[in-house]
Amino acid sequence: MDERQKLMEQIMAYDFCMIDLGLFLDTHPADANALNDFRTCYMESEKLRKQFEEKYGPINQRFLPNPRCWQWIDDPWPWAREA
Amino acid sequence: MWYYDKKLEYPINIKKCDPRMAKFIISQYGGPDGELAASLRYLSQRFHMPTKETRAILNDIGTEELAHLEMVGTMVHQLTKGVPADIMEKAGLGDFYTDHDNAVYPISASGVPFTAAYIQSKGDVIADLVEDLAAEQKARATYENLIRLADDPDVKDPLRFLREREVVHFQRFGEALRQVQELMGSKKYY
Repeated sequence: MDERQKLMEQIMAYDFCMIDLGLFLDTHPADANALNDFRTCYMESEKLRKQFEEKYGPINQRFLPNPRCWQWIDDPWPWAREA
Repeated sequence: MWYYDKKLEYPINIKKCDPRMAKFIISQYGGPDGELAASLRYLSQRFHMPTKETRAILNDIGTEELAHLEMVGTMVHQLTKGVPADIMEKAGLGDFYTDHDNAVYPISASGVPFTAAYIQSKGDVIADLVEDLAAEQKARATYENLIRLADDPDVKDPLRFLREREVVHFQRFGEALRQVQELMGSKKYY
């Protein structure tokens, strides 16, 4: 696995935790432990996303584009088999 | 509305083509207990949910199902990419190949195209949440059948992840149903 994919999978792990904790919090909105875990995952994910996007380009279109080139269309897309 | 994140919910990297397995897995794309049906069901039902918790859970599980639809489509794509016509035919995909080449198309394992008749949005909150509970169990059972049919760990691993999510969703829908039942038992509801 290359460096890009390694970093991407770390982001995916934190983001998945947020999805799962988010569902739990929907039915337990006052659970302090879950809220605290969600906050930790959010902060870790944000940090890694910034790192990733600086190095490899946008994960999401809500990204300040380079004034000369629209990197969004660059490969790889998520469904592609790893090279 | 939604924004797209250029990533999957869970990693998928299938190195070996296997059109036979693709023919089975595609049922979770466009089949009766598949992810397209799931997402449409919850995202349609969310409009008439009576509490903030139930509105949120339908919205958010519906959204996660779209990510699962993408995962299942990715598996089918990676299992069939570049597979020639004769191999597709030997795997039982000759009919599919005729109409769809190596594309991903929402269809069940037995070849029935997707239909909204797979889902209900009844407007009755109890009826809808009970359908949602059953839908999660049916999807779990389908993933268990697929895991038994698969031999490649690259295929089994994401199938196990998807199976586990059905169990979690079932749990959350159960909590939502209990909340609505308690509300209806109280005097405020009519």
